[in-house]
Amino acid sequence: MSLHATPHPKDTVKWTTVGGVRVPVHLLIPNLPDPFMDIEDYEPDADLMVLNMGPQHPSTHGVLRVKLVLDGEVCVKVTPYLGYLHRGVEKLCEKLSYVQITPIVDKNDYVSPMMNELAINMAFEKLIGAEVPRRARYIRTICAEIQRLGSHLLWLGTFGLDMGGAIGGGGSIFMHTFRERELLLDLFEDLTGCRFHYNTHTVGGNRHDIPAGWAAKATQVLAVISKRCIEYEDFVRGNKVFQARTVGVGIIDPVLAIDLGISGPVLRASGVDVDLRRDQPYAAYDEIAVNVATDPGGDCFSRYVVRVDEMRESIRIATELLAGVPEGPICSLKPVKLPGAVKAKHGQGVYSSIESPRGELGTFVVGNTVRRQSAIPYRCKIRSPSMHLLQLLPYICPGNNISDIIVTLGSLDPIMGEVDR
Amino acid sequence: MGVDQSNQNFEHPLFEYMEKMPGLDLAMTTADKILSWGSRNSMFVFPMATSCCGIEFMAAACGRFDLDRIGTIARGTPRQCDVMVIAGTITVKMAPRVKKLWDMMPEPKWAIAMGSCAISGDFYRDIYSVVPGVDTFMPVDVYVPGCPPNPDHLLEGFRRLQDKIKAKRAGEWVEPETRPVSGMQMPSVPRYGTDRDPAYDQAQLMATQNMGLGGELLAAGVTLPQPAPQPVQSGEGGDS
Repeated sequence: MSLHATPHPKDTVKWTTVGGVRVPVHLLIPNLPDPFMDIEDYEPDADLMVLNMGPQHPSTHGVLRVKLVLDGEVCVKVTPYLGYLHRGVEKLCEKLSYVQITPIVDKNDYVSPMMNELAINMAFEKLIGAEVPRRARYIRTICAEIQRLGSHLLWLGTFGLDMGGAIGGGGSIFMHTFRERELLLDLFEDLTGCRFHYNTHTVGGNRHDIPAGWAAKATQVLAVISKRCIEYEDFVRGNKVFQARTVGVGIIDPVLAIDLGISGPVLRASGVDVDLRRDQPYAAYDEIAVNVATDPGGDCFSRYVVRVDEMRESIRIATELLAGVPEGPICSLKPVKLPGAVKAKHGQGVYSSIESPRGELGTFVVGNTVRRQSAIPYRCKIRSPSMHLLQLLPYICPGNNISDIIVTLGSLDPIMGEVDR
Repeated sequence: MGVDQSNQNFEHPLFEYMEKMPGLDLAMTTADKILSWGSRNSMFVFPMATSCCGIEFMAAACGRFDLDRIGTIARGTPRQCDVMVIAGTITVKMAPRVKKLWDMMPEPKWAIAMGSCAISGDFYRDIYSVVPGVDTFMPVDVYVPGCPPNPDHLLEGFRRLQDKIKAKRAGEWVEPETRPVSGMQMPSVPRYGTDRDPAYDQAQLMATQNMGLGGELLAAGVTLPQPAPQPVQSGEGGDS
C-alpha cells in the first residue's frame, strides 16, 4: 500500500480555529494575490502577454472564457468572463408553472440533472406545504447518490483529459469512467425512460416508480463500479505523473473559500468538514449515516481524493437504501395532468438547499399573491455552487504555470450551464 | 491503380467504384469518387459543444457507441475539421464566435445541428439571450432532434450526412433538410447489448402519452391535427 500513500498524511497536520471553523494551519496563505491588481503596477520592464483561453476550448468544460496575463509561462493575472451560456432560466421560471419548471431546471447542471429537480422541488414543497411519502424520499436519495456517482465519474474522466490530452495517457481514464457511466445511465433509462433529462421529480413525490427487478440490477451495477473504483485508484493515485501534475497545485485557503461561498468537495478538500447531507438532512438522509470525506491537502490531488472517497460513500449509501425501500405511494398529490394543478397559497419566500456534486445547490422561491397566477412563482433564484467556484480562479491561479491553470480549473469541476443559468 | 487479380474476393468499398479492364491488372475510377469516398469515411469533427448535448457527444465518442468506427475523429481546432457538430444552446453572445469558427473551417465543410436547442432554441427560443436555431446565421446540413439526442441518434445523423456527401459529390441535387416537425417523441429504443423487458417500453410509452390533455386524446384514439412542416431556408449545404 506504499504506492497509495497520500502526500498529506492526516496525522501530521496542525489545526486551528478561524471564525469558529476548524481549518488546517498550513493552508492559511498570508499574502493572497490581489485579483483586481492593475497590470501597470506589476513590473515596468516585464514583457507581458495577454492570452484568451476560450470560450471554445476543449479544457474549459463548456463555454468559459478566461483572460490570462502571462509573464513568460507564469500567469500574473486571471480574469474569468461568463455569460456565454446565459439561457434566462430564472426569468423563464417566472413564466411557467410549478409543474412545468422541473424539466427546465434539468438543463442547468447537465452532468447531474436529477439534483436540480430535487433542489427546486424541495423548495416548491416547502412553499406549498406538500408532504413527500417515505418511498419517494428513498427513491430520491438513491437517485441522488447514483447521480453523484455519475457526476464524479465524468469529472474523473475529463480531469484525465485536462492533464494528458486525448492522445496521451489522459484518454485512458476517460474511456474507463465513461464505460461505467453508461451502466448508470442504463439504470436511469429503465427508471424514467430517458438517459439524460429525466423530469422524474414532481411536487410531492416522484413520477416514476421503481420497476420490478430494478433494485437488484442497481445493486449489481453498484457492486461492479465499487470494484472498478479500486482499479481507478491503482491507475491514478500512485501514478507519478498524476502526482507531479496535481500535488501542491492550486492550493485553496479554507478561509478564503468560506468567504467566497465555496461549498462541496472543493471546500472539504481544504479540510473544512461541511456536508449538507449530514448537517441538514433532507430526503432520506436522516435515516442513514453519511461519512463525510475530507482531506487537509487543499490542492488538486486532495480534490481527487475527496471525490473518489465520495464515490465509494455514494455506492455504500445507495446500496444500503436499495435493500430497504419501503412500500407505499410515490406521490402525496394526485397525478398532475394540467400545468396549473399545483398552487401556492401565500407569497412568502422560502429557501431550500441540497448537497449537489459541486456543493450547495439552493433555491429561493417566492409565491405569487395574485390569485390568477398562484400556479406560477413570483421569483425563483437558483444558488449554484459552480458560480462561486469560478470566483476562486483570480486568487489561486496567479503564480502558476499556464498548464497548471488547466488542471486547477478541471479540479474545481465547474459546469457552465449552472454558472450562467 | 493496380489491382491484384489473385485476390478477387477482397471486399473493399473502393472496389465498387472501379472499372476492371479485362486482361489488365488495372482498374480505373474517377478522382471525384476517390475524394468522395475519402471525405465520407474520414470525417474530422469539430465538437462545438456548449452544454448538455456535448456530454452526449462525449458519450458517443466513447467505447460503447464509438464514433471512431465510422471514421470520425474529434479535433480541438476548426482548421483541421470537416464537420462541425453544434451541440447545445447557442446564445447571442456565443453566436458570433460560432460563426467565426465556422468560417475558419476549410472547404468542403458540413454542419450538424445536434439537439433541439441548436435546431430551434427549444423552450429557450423566446428568451432574450438565446438564438432560435443556428440555421438563422449559418448553414446546417443535418438536424438531429432530441433533448439531448441519444448517441445512436447522432450516429444515424452522421450516416445521413454520409449519404448527403456522396450525393452532392456525385453532382446530384439534394433537397435541403428542414427543421424537424415539433411534437412528442417516442421514448428511446432498446439498444445493443441490453436485454430489456418490452413491458417497460409499453409502460413508458403510456406514461409519456398520458402527461397532458393531448396524450389522453391520443390514448382514446383521436388523431390530433399535426402542424404543417415549415420549410426553413437553410442555405446551400456548405460546398462551393
